Amino acid sequence: MSLEQFKNRNVGTQNYRMLDLDPTPVTGWDKFKQVVRRSLSLELLVGLKVTLREMIKALFFGKMHTTKYPFEKLPIGPRYRAIHEMKRLLESGHYRCIGCGLCEKICPADAIRMDTHYGENQRKEVSEYTINFGRCIFCGYCAEVCPELAIVHGGRYETASEQRASFSLFEDMLTPIDQLKNQKEFPGYGSVSVQADKNIKKTPLAY
Amino acid sequence: MMEVTYLGVIIKAILILAIISAIAGFGTYIERKVLAFMQRRLGPMNVGPYGLLQIAADGIKLFTKEDFIPQNANKLIFMVAPIITAATAFIALSAVPVFPDFTIFGIFVPSIAADVNIGILFVLGMMAAGLYGPLLAGMSQANKWGLIGAARTAAQFISYEVVTGLSLLAPIMMVGSLSLIDFNHYNETHPWMVFMQPLAFVLFLIAGFAETNRTPFDLLENEAEIIAGYATEYSGMRWGMFFIGEYANMITVAVLASIIFLGGYTDLWFIPGWLAIILKIAFMFFLMLWVRASWPHVRPDQFMWLAWKVLMPLAVINVVITGIVIMV
Amino acid sequence: MITFAFYLFAVLITGLFLVTVMSKNVLYAMTSLAAGMVLISGLFFILGADFLGVVQLIVYVGAVMAVYAFAMMFFDLSRDVEERHDKPWLIFLLGGGIALTLVVMFAAPIMGEAVHALYPPVAGATNPQAVGLVLFTKYLLPFEVASVMLLVAMIAGIILAGKKMEISLSAMDEDILPDTKENA
Repeated sequence: MSLEQFKNRNVGTQNYRMLDLDPTPVTGWDKFKQVVRRSLSLELLVGLKVTLREMIKALFFGKMHTTKYPFEKLPIGPRYRAIHEMKRLLESGHYRCIGCGLCEKICPADAIRMDTHYGENQRKEVSEYTINFGRCIFCGYCAEVCPELAIVHGGRYETASEQRASFSLFEDMLTPIDQLKNQKEFPGYGSVSVQADKNIKKTPLAY
Repeated sequence: MMEVTYLGVIIKAILILAIISAIAGFGTYIERKVLAFMQRRLGPMNVGPYGLLQIAADGIKLFTKEDFIPQNANKLIFMVAPIITAATAFIALSAVPVFPDFTIFGIFVPSIAADVNIGILFVLGMMAAGLYGPLLAGMSQANKWGLIGAARTAAQFISYEVVTGLSLLAPIMMVGSLSLIDFNHYNETHPWMVFMQPLAFVLFLIAGFAETNRTPFDLLENEAEIIAGYATEYSGMRWGMFFIGEYANMITVAVLASIIFLGGYTDLWFIPGWLAIILKIAFMFFLMLWVRASWPHVRPDQFMWLAWKVLMPLAVINVVITGIVIMV
Repeated sequence: MITFAFYLFAVLITGLFLVTVMSKNVLYAMTSLAAGMVLISGLFFILGADFLGVVQLIVYVGAVMAVYAFAMMFFDLSRDVEERHDKPWLIFLLGGGIALTLVVMFAAPIMGEAVHALYPPVAGATNPQAVGLVLFTKYLLPFEVASVMLLVAMIAGIILAGKKMEISLSAMDEDILPDTKENA
């Protein structure tokens, strides 16, 4: 199934048809006439025909509807918002998080916890960053509030795990350093503007 | 012809029990598969090749599940009820001939376990007695859904026994015997009964669906209305016995329809008799699943209306016309 | 073998019907009555009267007892039935008298010498044929009368049950309801 087809859920643009039903019979004689008409017009056999047609389609023409889920997966949207991802800077490969703590403050489920310290080059560095996915409600506030696009939602939707810790550590959510080239960036609110490079100016050092 | 020995009868009874139980188990698999295909699903796939071992898994689950008896239930009756269903279903099968007579290891084996010369009536009577399973189950379990299920059992079975009996009366009049073996012999010399009595065939099918509690008429345990009806409080192997009884009844009705209306185990062109009847029974079984996949339930009032105001008069008219034709 | 089967059935039937009479629980009484009916059909089978046995099965077990069960759904089945005896001696007298009469009636042919079958079984006739022969020759009139009686009972039942079937009380307004409050 293509993505466009999957995403089209607009009722009305699909092939729905209204049935032209007869008025409900009131008297016994009318009911009897309806039964006779329906029985003799073999409407019931039409029902049988439909199911048999579907069965033949499914068995012999490869129209089976089932996705064998753990082995096959349906495509998800590229901006699917499931388990968080931590992004890296594209040039240096250092993680983008500046340890501002906004995500921790805004989180309505109180799921995010972070600790920072001063690093070697007098930068604030993240020493510990965890998201408790037992509490996370996937509201997306953390991604929205992040000034550096460091925390975003990703496409990892299979959230079953034996231990919470196995998918809540900063390192696990961080883009692996060798996957840096594949790190996706999307345009839109909060993202780096298209002409960001052009807008860079030298820091005036006149004073 | 060798005399029927007690040992032979016992062996045959055990064989019928084992085979029909196995077929009933296999029937659940077939039902799930066919229903799935008709909805373009795959059905059970993961246990064994093509999900074939799903039957074994279900069996193990049924056997090891907690056998639950409600506190206020009438315990003795509650425990006996599923046994009644399973037992009557199998007893009914004892009077049904399935295969042509054959000889194995030099021993002549007649096709029937208990050759009563009123086979049809015996099968109908046993299926009538089978109504006590759901009835007592529903009444003993101190559950309102169960009680409604039991009330529906009584209404449904009594009404549709009338239709079954009257619809079979016309073929009985034509054959002039109540023995199922005579029906089979009749089909050897005449065209199939379904071509001479199409109305009786349709009526018998409808009533058969009602008596085996199959989908357009499965009001006893219609989960949309009364949870599981008479089987609400049952679990584990007791529920499994209801299940086996239902499938055995389905097979009985399929065999009856094949023998009375579809030519029985007479040879068909180049197909030998034993294969022909297996094909016919399989088709009837498939028809039941097909109908379940296609048609919705009826409402209880429509159901009684259908029985008493449509099917029974039609059956009576059919009997009268058959009588006139035979007389003239 | 047949003697053994007969005594087995006889003991079981008697025991089951005793349960029917003695039990305080409606459900036990009904179940044992139905089971007794099934076993009575077993007696018919022993006698070689297959047809009557099956008719017993269909009519009594399948229909009559099911109608009893239908009526029994209006009871609270988990509660025991309290019987009220005003005059126990009268019940004892009447019940004992009826039982004695029945025993005498059915024991008489065993004792008597002059009893013989008016309609001996026709040679070569199968079970249903034999029943049909007797039913449509000697007993034709009683048979027809019985069927007319059944028809009368059926029509009466329909009239009694279906008198005000067209009026749905639940669909009516409360003001129009024919004074239910005064009756209550």
